[in-house]
Formats: sequence, structure tokens, C-alpha cells
Amino acid sequence: MNFPDNIPWCEKHRALCFADIKGQDLAVDKINIFLKSFPRKRAAILHGPPGVGKTSLAYVIAAEIDAEILELNASDLRNKEKILQIIKPASEQRSLFKRSKIILVDEVDGISVKDRGGLSELLGIVEKTSFPVIITANDIWKPSFNLLRQRCELIQLKDVDYKVILDILKIICTKENCVVSNDVLTSISIKSRGDIRAAINDLQALSKLDEHSFVKEIGERNKEESIFNSLQYVFKNASLDTKMLGIFDNVDMNIDEIFLWVEENIPLEYRKEELAKAFDALSRADMFRGRIYTHQHWRFMVYEYFLLGPGIAASKKFNRAGWTSYKKPSRILKIWLNNQRVAKKKTICQKYAKHVHISTKRAMKDFLVLRIILKNNIIRKELKLNEEEIEYLDKQI
Amino acid sequence: MDFKGSDVWTEKYRPKKFSELVGQEEVVKRVSSLVGSMNIPHLLFAGPAGTGKSTLALIIVRELFGESWRDNHLELNASDERGIDVVRQKVKDFARTKAIGDVPFKVIFLDEADALTREAQQALRRTMENFTSTCRFILSCNYSSKIIDPIQSRCVVFRFKLLEKKDIRKVIDKIIQNEGLTITQDAFDVLYEFSEGDCRRVINLMQATASISPNISIDLVNTIISQAKPSDIKIVLDYALAGDFQNSRQKLLDIMLKESVSGQDVIKSIQKEIWNLPIDNDLKVRLTEKTGEAEFRLVEGSDEFIQLEALIASFVLAGGK
Repeated sequence: MNFPDNIPWCEKHRALCFADIKGQDLAVDKINIFLKSFPRKRAAILHGPPGVGKTSLAYVIAAEIDAEILELNASDLRNKEKILQIIKPASEQRSLFKRSKIILVDEVDGISVKDRGGLSELLGIVEKTSFPVIITANDIWKPSFNLLRQRCELIQLKDVDYKVILDILKIICTKENCVVSNDVLTSISIKSRGDIRAAINDLQALSKLDEHSFVKEIGERNKEESIFNSLQYVFKNASLDTKMLGIFDNVDMNIDEIFLWVEENIPLEYRKEELAKAFDALSRADMFRGRIYTHQHWRFMVYEYFLLGPGIAASKKFNRAGWTSYKKPSRILKIWLNNQRVAKKKTICQKYAKHVHISTKRAMKDFLVLRIILKNNIIRKELKLNEEEIEYLDKQI
Repeated sequence: MDFKGSDVWTEKYRPKKFSELVGQEEVVKRVSSLVGSMNIPHLLFAGPAGTGKSTLALIIVRELFGESWRDNHLELNASDERGIDVVRQKVKDFARTKAIGDVPFKVIFLDEADALTREAQQALRRTMENFTSTCRFILSCNYSSKIIDPIQSRCVVFRFKLLEKKDIRKVIDKIIQNEGLTITQDAFDVLYEFSEGDCRRVINLMQATASISPNISIDLVNTIISQAKPSDIKIVLDYALAGDFQNSRQKLLDIMLKESVSGQDVIKSIQKEIWNLPIDNDLKVRLTEKTGEAEFRLVEGSDEFIQLEALIASFVLAGGK
């Protein structure tokens, strides 16, 4: 088959035979048994996380038994003719030489959300169909699938091991004639968390980058690894060697990010006196950062980095062993989430602030008193508060 | 923005003439004589919140321009504008057209000018120079030390005092008369204590209280204050003294985010709270000193939260001993 360039690789390199289905041996066995024993059960649900090969498996089955795939989607489920076509004992005794059919209802969890009626139609099909039905779903444990679950053979597809994904990526690379280092392929495989489709998409995206951004992309992926190593070195070693002096030099992050990583993880390593000392060093580093901003005296960066690395390392007297799993900084995310939560409060305060000649910040600070004053309907009108803002205020106290 | 009709008391009772402004007699005397000559220099108002800086600026433009004051006056708040470039652009646009009326200049009021960084202030100084022929600036700030010297030297600086109890009483009496309220002496005392000489705060609290009953008693005031008080910082300190740093900082961040309190506010509450903690006197002294150090670092540094975490860490240490 000739594919134009713009076809996604995950389509282009879909599995074509059982041998291509990687890491799902049990599921393959089960679906074979299901087909052989049809119509003991008339339908099977392939369920599992995204990108593990549910749809691929359905197509492979069809190819193996030389059946034609009839795919149904939400709107088809309401299409009487189409349903009849499936249910009607399709000229009952079809010659064995003619192609059989497999009905594929892809991503059934998508259907049930948008179209509740569709589910009962689907149940009708499952009861009467004269062809095997294969349903794919991410999550079949929702209560609305109770009946469907009872009538179908459940076949679970597991997360795919990263090594399996790595093999798949390598095969694709060979076919596509693209050279990507093993490290990068491995990191894509791990990052995909068992999602083959995501991994292939990543690979395709990467292959389109020019060399410069390609390197940068890989850099992004290595970033976390190097901050982990640096943190490990700072927190575990008490001796100040030359490596410690330049410990954050090779971390490809700006210093503000490094601050956040250090801040988040100090309490995971230090207690009591060490904790106080470490935070004292961090606080001093931050003072130098402030001075750089206000005085534009960039040489202070030397002290900033020194306090952040050796300064924090020196908070303890002895080396320590053990492995600590460092956490990503959470503060920025919390601030962001909070901003989302108080968005209404902010717009109220903006209107109020403009009205009474103060800053929004000040209004936010005084909000606890203001919310009482803003219960007054005349004032609400005066400030031209909208319904959502009024609703927000009504929820206060 | 029509003041006359406002039901927000801080606007309704905002003084509109020099003579109505309380507690700043010296400043008012000098400013009104400047305005009398129909020509003012750049002005810098320095002083605590709620002492009348914005009010005086508004009075000045009314006195200068009379009915057309709105067209000749631009009000900006440095802490709300995103960066000096925005300020500059707005000033430029505003200063491009000539003043309407007899006065040959327009007035730009830049509130909370100390929120600008030093570089931004340098840029502001250029802007002030460029537009001197068509514009006068009135800047306001809490601390004049945060305003760079070149700007200070271009302005006449006025320092606003914290309002005294009798000044605040005057304001309150006016409101009571006008709104038909009563207030007991002890209720007033509590109101005053809680607002720390900030007139805006007193008026807001009055209005919040009066929204429940026109007869303002001490119980009523206390109820409102308890609703208006930011969450207790004490729980943060309790966790810290018990050695639980993680929960302490978690709680601190929650409080700061939920109630939009600044690092400075937190330090202030911690400093007050220390005296109520069940710890030895010498520890109280040491922790207070630590708190002072943290406040200094907070001004000097760039990330308030890190400075507060460092302070909590020293509470953890103190608690463990």
C-alpha cells in the first residue's frame, strides 16, 4: 500500500496480523475463543486504556478470519435500516466462501455520554445480531454499562510494557528511514506510559523537527533527570567539592525554576536544625535574587548559585545514604488553581476598586469586609455586577 | 463613576473640599495655597493607607478644573497596571491633547507608585520630564524611601500622618448623623483598634455593621470583625512548633491564597501572635527577632513565600528544643 506523507504513522503502521499485536497475548487468545464459540456470546468488549491496541486488535481479527468490518457509530445506532441489516439473519445461510462480517462499535464510552438512547439500541443489537459484535471501551465499569457487561465477553487489554513499545518504535524507524538515538526512543517509550498511539505520535512529531529543535526536545526530556541528579547530589553530600560548586550549571532550567525545586524538596531530606539551616540558605539566596532585580547587579548571581547549591548542602554535617523520590514543585500549580477558583472574586474587586479609587489588590485584601457591604442590592447595581458575580457573592458566609 | 449617587460609604463620605479633610491640617494648608495659584508642581504624597492621599488628589483636581475635572484628570494605579510600558502609553495618550479650560496642564494621579520597580521608576522619571509642559503628576506611596531620589527631587513631598482617634471620631459622627445610626463608645473603641487608623477600613466596617442593625453595639462590631478577620495564622505556628513543617507551610499557602494576604500581612500577624504562644519568654524574644529578620529579608528578597518558609523552619527548630 502506498501512503501519502500526511497519514499519521499510528494509522500507517497499524498492526496487520496477530504477530503484529504486541504484548496482548492473553487478549488475542480470548478473542479467538470468543469467535470460535459464537454465538454462545454474541458480543465481546475489548477494554483497556487508550492506545493499547483495541481497535487494531479488532481489525486484525477481521483480517485473520477474512471478515469484513462493519463499523457502527453513535448515529448508526439510531439508523433503523442499518440495524436491520445487522440483525436480519443476513440471508441466513451465507455460503462459507463468502466473506463474513464483524460489527465493530468503537469507543462505546463516547456513545453513552452523548447519546443515552444509543446504549439500548446497542443492547438490542447484541441480543439479536447474526454477526459477532466487537465493542471497544476505555472504562466499562460505569453503572450504565451493567447490562451490556452481562451480555458480553469481557476481554481486557493491558498497559503495554515500555520495552514492547520500544520495539515497535524501532520497527517504525526502520520502515520510515529515520534515525533516532536509542536514548530518545527509550524516553519516548517510557513517557508514553503504555500508550502505543501516543508513543508513535511523539515519534512522528519528533521526526519532523529540524536538528536544532530536535536537540532541544531531547533536552526537555532530560531536564527532569538532571535536576533530580543535582538535587540528589546537594541533599546527600556534605563535602563541598568542585562538582558541588557548579552543581546547577548543567541543569537546563532557569534559576527561578531551580529555586522552586529546591524549596519543594528540602523538607523531604532535612529535619529540625538542618531544615532551618537549609531554609536560611535558600532565603539568603533569594535575597541576592531580589538585589539582582532591584540593582541589576548581575554578579550577585555567583552568591545566588552558591547558596542554592553548596549553601544548602552544608546544612548537614555528614553524607547520607538512601534514595529519595523528589517531588515536582507544586506551589505554582496551586497558585494557578486558586486563581481559577477566585476568578469571580477578582472581577468583583476590579469593579469595586475602580469605583472607589483603590487598587484591585487592596480590594482583594479587604474582601472579607467588602462581601458584607456588597450584599446591598443598590450597591450591586451601582457597581454593575453581573449575575455570576452576584451568585458568587451570595455564596459567601 | 458618579460620586453623588454612591451608596458605598467610602465614596459617599469622601471629602470634596479641602476643609472637609480631617487630620492633615499642615498638608492641606500648604497644598491649598499651591492650588490657589492655579499652578502646581509635581506632588508626592507619602503616608499610611486610609489617611487621605487619594482624596486630597481628587480635591486638587476638582479645585483646579471645576466642572471639567474628569476630562483633565487621569487616575492610574501602579499596582494594577501591567508594567511601566502600559503606564507610559496611557500617560502618552492622555497627555497628547491639550487641557480643556483655563488651566494649562492636566493632572495624572499615579496611586501606589512604590509598587513600581526601580527601573520602572527611572522610566517614569523620563516620562515626567517629557510631559512637564502639559502634565503634572501626583504620586502616592506608603513609604517615600521606596521612591527613587530623582523622582523625589522633582516633586514636592508631603507626608500624611496616621489619623488620630479624634479625627476618626469626626468622620464617624458625620456618618452616624447622616444615616441615623447610634454607636456605643466601646463599639467605637473596638472599631478604631481594629482599623489601626485606616479611615477607609473604619468606614467599611461601619457600613458592614450598619447593614445588620442601625444600633451599633460592641457585640455587633465583634461579630463583623470575626467575619472580616483573615484566618488565624496561629494554626500555621502551631504546626511549626509541633515540628510538622509540611503541614505548616501547606496551611500558610492556603491562607495566603484564599484570602489574598500578602507576605507582609502574614509577618505582621506572626509578630503579634508570638506573645500569645505558650512558650518561654526568651524564646518569644528570639522568635520575634527572627520575625524581624524575616520581614527585612522579605523586603530585600524576591519570593515572599520562601522567606516565610524560612521563618517557619526556625519555629520548627525552636519548638523542638
